Amino acid sequence: MKLKIKILLANPLSFMGLLLISLVFGSAIFADFITPFPLHKGAVVDFSNFNQAPNLTNIMGTDLVGRDLFTRIIYAFRISIMLGIVVLIISVPIGVFMGLLAGYSGGKLDFVLMRITDVFLSIPPLVLAMAVMGLLEPTILNGMLAVTAMWWPWYTRLIYNLTRSEKEEGYVVAAEVVGASRWHIMFREILPNCTHAIITKMTLDFGFVILIVSSLSFLGLGVQAPTPDLGSMVAEGARYLPDSWWLTVFPGLAILIIVFGFNLVGDALRDMMDTDS
Amino acid sequence: MSDSLLDIQNLSLSFQGLTETVDVLDNINLSISRGERVALVGESGSGKSVIARIILGLLQSQKGAIVKGSVRFRGIELEAATGNQIESLRGREISMIFQDPTSSMNPVYKIGTIFHEILNRGTHNISKKLALIKASKLLEEVSITEFKRVLESYPFQLSGGMNQRVMIALALANKPALLIADEPGTALDVTVQAQTLKLMHNLVKKNNTAVLFISHNLGVVHQFADRVYVIYKGRIVESGSTSSIFENTKHPYTKALMNAVPKITSKSFFDASDDSSLFKQPAFHHKDREIGQ
Repeated sequence: MKLKIKILLANPLSFMGLLLISLVFGSAIFADFITPFPLHKGAVVDFSNFNQAPNLTNIMGTDLVGRDLFTRIIYAFRISIMLGIVVLIISVPIGVFMGLLAGYSGGKLDFVLMRITDVFLSIPPLVLAMAVMGLLEPTILNGMLAVTAMWWPWYTRLIYNLTRSEKEEGYVVAAEVVGASRWHIMFREILPNCTHAIITKMTLDFGFVILIVSSLSFLGLGVQAPTPDLGSMVAEGARYLPDSWWLTVFPGLAILIIVFGFNLVGDALRDMMDTDS
Repeated sequence: MSDSLLDIQNLSLSFQGLTETVDVLDNINLSISRGERVALVGESGSGKSVIARIILGLLQSQKGAIVKGSVRFRGIELEAATGNQIESLRGREISMIFQDPTSSMNPVYKIGTIFHEILNRGTHNISKKLALIKASKLLEEVSITEFKRVLESYPFQLSGGMNQRVMIALALANKPALLIADEPGTALDVTVQAQTLKLMHNLVKKNNTAVLFISHNLGVVHQFADRVYVIYKGRIVESGSTSSIFENTKHPYTKALMNAVPKITSKSFFDASDDSSLFKQPAFHHKDREIGQ
């Protein structure tokens, strides 16, 4: 473990990725202390300072009702990170379990589970999420639900394929010979050999989940005002381009930083795990 | 034959294909007594490994496999045995050594952890500490003196010969009554193979473990086994004690198999008749007095 972090730090790209991620996480955790106007995360109105270009007091300018944009972006990190974590925590175990079960059992169970997965995979992700959000009320909770519903099949597919190939390995047959139960073989023999793939995919996905949630918010189906969210901030500012450029550019850059950071680390992790095997 | 440990009667296997069925085994009769070392010899594809898989019940669940006949272990019909009965047999009463030792151990666990799991099959809730002590003793028996380092290593960090010895120790960890060795050491070079086989020989003799030794190497079989079954295209063609088979070879296939071993004194490659029509002759069973203890 220690060695792996060292390898990550030694590679300039993944080092940058780690730096960006820790910057985002750090600022989100300590938002109350580093933001100049913590109150601006909520429904505050300050019309004397509305729509200001970046200046010394508001380094990223202010929005249409006079709230500090920098403050709101930092607080928006919190929401994004929380969404990313919750979506992955729910969808990864479901997907992994289904994949293991289908891959190891084979036969009818395999067929049924994988066809269900295929159905979910065949619907364009954003459309599925929009449908769920349209059916339910557009709240953060439903947003998470919608994104989770579209996320687990990818893990099922990944783990299914890995399980199918691991299942033929000598050590699985050896475990069957000594009388290990199917649950033991699934979770104690096969799963540990899949963790590298799961970790890599999770790292890459963290950025994509944030991107998707931002897209939903951009369409007005995600996080609702006054809660700050990067996607809805971009949507709001897009109407005032190009004059009030700061309203769009800074939240957009914030999304870029998160996704880019996770992608860099994810790519480095993938390369690292590849050389391992 | 009353105290036979494993008794296979009229075993046939065929695979159901899309258009036709392929017969793999035809009317196999084979028995192993307690503590007896029996070798099953034949060429590639003759059905040696399939018999091992049937004994362990790994094949029956496969789609398209049609198994007929009876396999009895200690008088229990394995086909009719419940899942629980089979689970309690596997790993405790019957264990197996594979061709490729390195790939038959999970690469994410240390040898020590693997030993712990295997020993846990024999004695439930064995503590890790006790398991490691037992494991060190087992490793010492297969002449691994630096057991501390081995127990702390992952399978891929050890050499093939080392892994093979670890495999032997693992297979004999729970003192099984029957050990199935499916071409052990085929993946190893000849000197290491000889070494590990010698170790295995001494250990099974000491523990009075019955062995079904599956091999195509006649030299090894001659040293290792009490009794030999020669299998050709899914049929037993000759059976008997090792000495009578080697000294009084009857079946043309067995003769061809013996001649196939290159002799260091011969000038050219062997000149065996491999006219397969000869090999279809009826099986020959040597009438020996029962060996087995």
